[in-house]
Amino acid sequence: MSAREPKVVFERVSKTFPKKKEVLQVLQDIDLSVAEGEFVCLLGPSGCGKSTLLNIAGGFEEPTSGTVRIDGQLVDGPNARRVFVFQEYGIFPWASVWDNVVLGVRHRPRSEQHEIAQGVIDLVGLTGFEKAYPMELSGGMKQRVEVARALAVSPDVIYMDEPFGALDSLTRLTMRAELIRIWNTRKPTVLFVTHDVDEAIQIAERIVVFSARPGRVAGVVDVPLEHPRDLSSHAYADIKRELYGLLGVVQAV
Amino acid sequence: MNEFVLPSLLLVLSLGALPLVSRFRSGVRTFVMPTLVILATLFAWHLACAALGTRVFPSPMQTAAAFGELFESQRLLGDVVASLFRVTFGFLLAAGIGIPLGLVLGWSTRSFEALNPIIQGLRPISPIAWIPIAILWFGIGDGAGVFLIFLSTFFPVTVGTTAAVRNISLVHRRSALNFGVQGLELFRRVVLPAALPQIITSLRIALGVAWLVIVAAEMVGMDSGLGYLINDARNAGSRYDLVVATMIVIGAIGIVLDYLIRRLERFDEVRWGYVQR
Ligand SMILES: Nc1ncnc2c1ncn2[C@@H]1O[C@H](COP(=O)(O)OP(=O)(O)OP(=O)(O)O)[C@@H](O)[C@H]1O
Ligand SMILES: [Mg+2]
Repeated sequence: MSAREPKVVFERVSKTFPKKKEVLQVLQDIDLSVAEGEFVCLLGPSGCGKSTLLNIAGGFEEPTSGTVRIDGQLVDGPNARRVFVFQEYGIFPWASVWDNVVLGVRHRPRSEQHEIAQGVIDLVGLTGFEKAYPMELSGGMKQRVEVARALAVSPDVIYMDEPFGALDSLTRLTMRAELIRIWNTRKPTVLFVTHDVDEAIQIAERIVVFSARPGRVAGVVDVPLEHPRDLSSHAYADIKRELYGLLGVVQAV
Repeated sequence: MNEFVLPSLLLVLSLGALPLVSRFRSGVRTFVMPTLVILATLFAWHLACAALGTRVFPSPMQTAAAFGELFESQRLLGDVVASLFRVTFGFLLAAGIGIPLGLVLGWSTRSFEALNPIIQGLRPISPIAWIPIAILWFGIGDGAGVFLIFLSTFFPVTVGTTAAVRNISLVHRRSALNFGVQGLELFRRVVLPAALPQIITSLRIALGVAWLVIVAAEMVGMDSGLGYLINDARNAGSRYDLVVATMIVIGAIGIVLDYLIRRLERFDEVRWGYVQR
């Protein structure tokens, strides 16, 4: 891991929102460096500013102070090389699966579009559903379309904001495995937001734990486990205990 | 008393059959139940006329005869065409201007701030109040009709389209931004399709209003069309049978217009906007 170049670098990022007479401090002095091709989970309680941090990195919002650099360049807006997979469904319900997926490559030559779109549709396991509309798909399939749309542009960075939050636990499990498989084939840098401890341990190389609002980095935990991961191993349990400690949650109920 | 027996019996029968029919499968049910209700209404109407012994208000039979007269005189077709012509042109003109205007107003805050107050100020003025001005500007004829229909449909279409665009969800706007969709392409690929289901709903409302307004306008300030036909039938010797027959024609055409515009809701590109979520 040490050999990899830093890709996304947060430096003293703070964010406040105006709130009637006072201000709401959402993020406070976030320092974080994500390496090229790394899979990082941002883990924290609801409302701690995870989505806000991702939106800042994605260029949808500006930090109140501090900077985000990608490849050394200041982020100054959204960019098609760095794509979002949204918390709610971001694919267009008025367009077919195919038309959604080619959105990011619409200016390329037809034959190229075709090759790319079919490639990512096959990759996410939606072969045969090219002409279907999102409302004809299950929640898990819609989320696959969104992943395919993101992959089509061969992004350097993928931001995923609780992409599987709306799915049932069984589908989430398969989607995680799929995501890891896809990540292994393409190796983009992934920033994955979740508030699910198990999800984080199952997929991340490194987990950044946030404190409750105002969000601060409470700790960073490496997950030195090979995929596929053994969810009953001692190492897994140790990491889980460490995360619960950082989150300030008592593990026994 | 005999004249009451058969219609009463039929009335009771058609209403009594309703609970039975309600158990049929939905394909049959949705056709047979309304038919029974219409039949019952006709029998009740017939009975009411017979009981009151009115000479002015037509019975169903007399109304049916009036239909024959209307068709034979070939007047009906001319008036139907006149009304439909005004509605079609006024409506298309309003949609052609109102939809693009609404898209711009919905997307650009500046243009909304500048234009929304005058639109909201003109909107509550009944199109009927414009009739004197319409006649002043366009004379008695199609021009005034088209103008009035334009006025009555322009506001619902513009306001509906504006609201539709302002309702576009943040994720969709951000998706567009993220993938670099801008300018005209943004309108074509995101703004218009996202707003389309609601635009179609506003077109549907506008067309309904147009069909209401044209009849009123023709009664007051025009010399052809279905509204004029109603007025003419009353003035020319209280021909209430013709009045009622024309009203039924108006209702039937209204149903057809609504049916036609609802077909727009079935396209794949907009169906998502009407399913329950
Ligand atoms: N545009 C905004 N204006 C004002 N307050 C906001 C805005 N966006 C977010 N907030 C506030 O910032 C805080 C953090 O929000 P954020 O969506 O980043 O949380 P989160 O960690 O993603 O939570 P969750 O896990 O529930 O998605 C919340 O208290 C929220 O109310
Ligand atoms: Mg969030």
